[in-house]
Amino acid sequence: MSDDLPDKFDLIVIGTGFPESCIAAAASRIGKTVLHIDPHEYYGGVWASFNLESFCALLEYGNGSDIKNTKQKWYINEQLNPEMGAEVGNSNSDSETHAMAEDTVVRKPIDQQWSREKLLQQSRRFNLDLSPKILYSAGPLVQLLVSSNICRYAEFRAVDRVCTKFQNQIINVPCSRSDVFNTKDLNIVEKRLLMKFLSQCLAFGEDKTEEDTLLYRGKTFREYLQEQKVTEKIRTCVMQAIAMSTDETPFEVGIGRTQQFLGSLGRYGNTPFLFPMYGCGEIPQCFCRLCAVFGGIYCLKRNIDDIIVEADTNIANVVLEGKTIKAQHVVSAPCHIPTVLLERNVGIYGQGELVNSLSRGIFLSAEPLGSEELNSGGGGVNLLRLLADTREAILIQLSHFSGTCPKGIYLFHLTTAAQTDQPEQDLAPFVAQIFNTETDDALKLLYSAYFTIMGRKSTSSTPRVDVSTPIFCTSAPSYELDYDNAIINAREIFTKLYADAEFLPRAPDPEEIVIEGEDPRALSENSLPDDLREQLRELEKSAEHMDIEDTEGTSVIEINQVESESQQMDAE
Amino acid sequence: MAKTYDYLFKLLLIGDSGVGKTCILFRFSEDAFNTTFISTIGIDFKIRTIELDGKKIKLQIWDTAGQERFRTITTAYYRGAMGIMLVYDITQEKSFENIKNWIRNIEENASADVEKMLLGNKCELNDKRQVSRERGEQLAVEYGIKFMETSAKASINVEEAFLTLASDIKAKMEKRLEANNPPKGGHQLKFAETRKTETWLSKCNLL
Repeated sequence: MSDDLPDKFDLIVIGTGFPESCIAAAASRIGKTVLHIDPHEYYGGVWASFNLESFCALLEYGNGSDIKNTKQKWYINEQLNPEMGAEVGNSNSDSETHAMAEDTVVRKPIDQQWSREKLLQQSRRFNLDLSPKILYSAGPLVQLLVSSNICRYAEFRAVDRVCTKFQNQIINVPCSRSDVFNTKDLNIVEKRLLMKFLSQCLAFGEDKTEEDTLLYRGKTFREYLQEQKVTEKIRTCVMQAIAMSTDETPFEVGIGRTQQFLGSLGRYGNTPFLFPMYGCGEIPQCFCRLCAVFGGIYCLKRNIDDIIVEADTNIANVVLEGKTIKAQHVVSAPCHIPTVLLERNVGIYGQGELVNSLSRGIFLSAEPLGSEELNSGGGGVNLLRLLADTREAILIQLSHFSGTCPKGIYLFHLTTAAQTDQPEQDLAPFVAQIFNTETDDALKLLYSAYFTIMGRKSTSSTPRVDVSTPIFCTSAPSYELDYDNAIINAREIFTKLYADAEFLPRAPDPEEIVIEGEDPRALSENSLPDDLREQLRELEKSAEHMDIEDTEGTSVIEINQVESESQQMDAE
Repeated sequence: MAKTYDYLFKLLLIGDSGVGKTCILFRFSEDAFNTTFISTIGIDFKIRTIELDGKKIKLQIWDTAGQERFRTITTAYYRGAMGIMLVYDITQEKSFENIKNWIRNIEENASADVEKMLLGNKCELNDKRQVSRERGEQLAVEYGIKFMETSAKASINVEEAFLTLASDIKAKMEKRLEANNPPKGGHQLKFAETRKTETWLSKCNLL
């Protein structure tokens, strides 16, 4: 079905994951002709989100080259259990460590509230991310979305709470000044210490000659914290949730992250973080939309048979279901490079051996994690970074406010760097910390799933890359909270392709021609004489430039706009 | 910055390639018709503010950006859409038959209560007609939606179609507001909650 596709493109992109979509949009934006293909029938590849039904199907059949080691389990019956006191669990649930305690008494047994059938009926309300992320409000992705104007395609929810584990309790990490004042978790002395410490962190680096900074060069962030005479509770909050550090994190890195955290505060909500509404799978789609708006052509569910590079011209001949299409460059997601190409040992930029990249867990429950205080207003999007020995994991709790699960259900994403090809085993120490507490109020799970996200890592057996290769391979998602590495990866490949071009300059807003009542037919461009039309074009052009110069103020203006909107809404 | 409208509606255009979606968009937003201009520049969305019963309504109308060609419309395109114009070409039987597929696509991706309307475009080409007016009407009845034959080129019914869709959305929304307003409590909270998410977009808060 490769009918009426042009037979020549500047760039063919294979895979619609984040870095691929980013590169496709950037190339299309600067006027390159782009063909964007995905062998899957959905957007996003390993960065996609799925409804519950598709997700279960993916895990059942989906041991592909991008996700592996899949395992899923239901803790509830196929249908609602009508009888009181009936046994919990079903044929599929074995007695694994994190299975719910069968003898715990609750108001109404979980199997009378929820069944597999009932959850699947609401399948479409789920958006289960393969690679969930949390964005710093002033982080690289938010900056990129705003500067490129791609932000108009997405909506975000401010993360409600940042949590940490302290003495086996999940506590709220106060983020804003008012949080610090209001929290019950800290006493008055601790509050003052924390405020003082955070202000001090903000001031760091302002003056490069500052003696304090020099004093801690080469030391760890932990050592620095210890010398600040803060309490253990504050140290935990700062280390685990604010500076996202471990015992070994160098001082400079820790202070950098603290500053990033503080710098993202006060922009869009109580915490410095945002989560994309309807899941992170929306993000690559936003970039694809921009690519399409600038002329990029999209084909899903198409397989690449082979890529043959012409030795003399260095042009790539991409064989797409029998039809050959020429391209100056090809960018592919790691899992979509045709096997025949790999067998020929062709040098591909960024290519490597298939390795386990992330160990992932997805859990559904009918109750939120932690105390009621942590989940006021029905529970929100909460972030909890967990530590176990030298390893760490990120837990994201999502409620229905995030558009990723139905009301009454809480979705938990657990992510850690893969150690083995057994994601469940990799995540076990973290799961034990949150879902398997010995207390009575242990969280009851409805469903759990585990899988590994594959990536590529260059090893000694990776074929040497010819500098002139027209084929580039992007990176799989790595263990990081935000999209930092993914954006670096996309930018790096883009620069290899188009050295001097700007990466995603601001896309103009559709000229807002607002015709209000009076005289709607007054100005039609076509009815103008040629010279006037030319003038109009020039005016529009200079107006565009004004927009670009104004970029820095943009987000503020937007916020003001929204505020006045919501006030009016309130009035109504 | 003062708000210049009372409501903001996000509308979508959907239908096969070449049925004239972008032309309809241009006719409505700029009262212009120029095919060459359109095919060379990617259209994202267009905005026009209309007035209905004394309320200013800002219509933000999104085009498919060519992603309908191989049926690769993103799920993100449908998010938050309050109205959808389903467009076919009365001179292309195939585009009419495909309306069923597009409706299935909408059911899978758009919100369940999205307001829909069926448009048979290019009605100025009566001598090339392949789909009778009656068949269009019948299909619309089948899906319980409104129907109009339009011509972006001859400027027939385009304005009327958008005004109809907008007023249906407005009526639905006001009904829901009325139903929600009296008991203060849970719902009000929900409004406050969603508002938080809207920080850097000018989207309608009344979803």
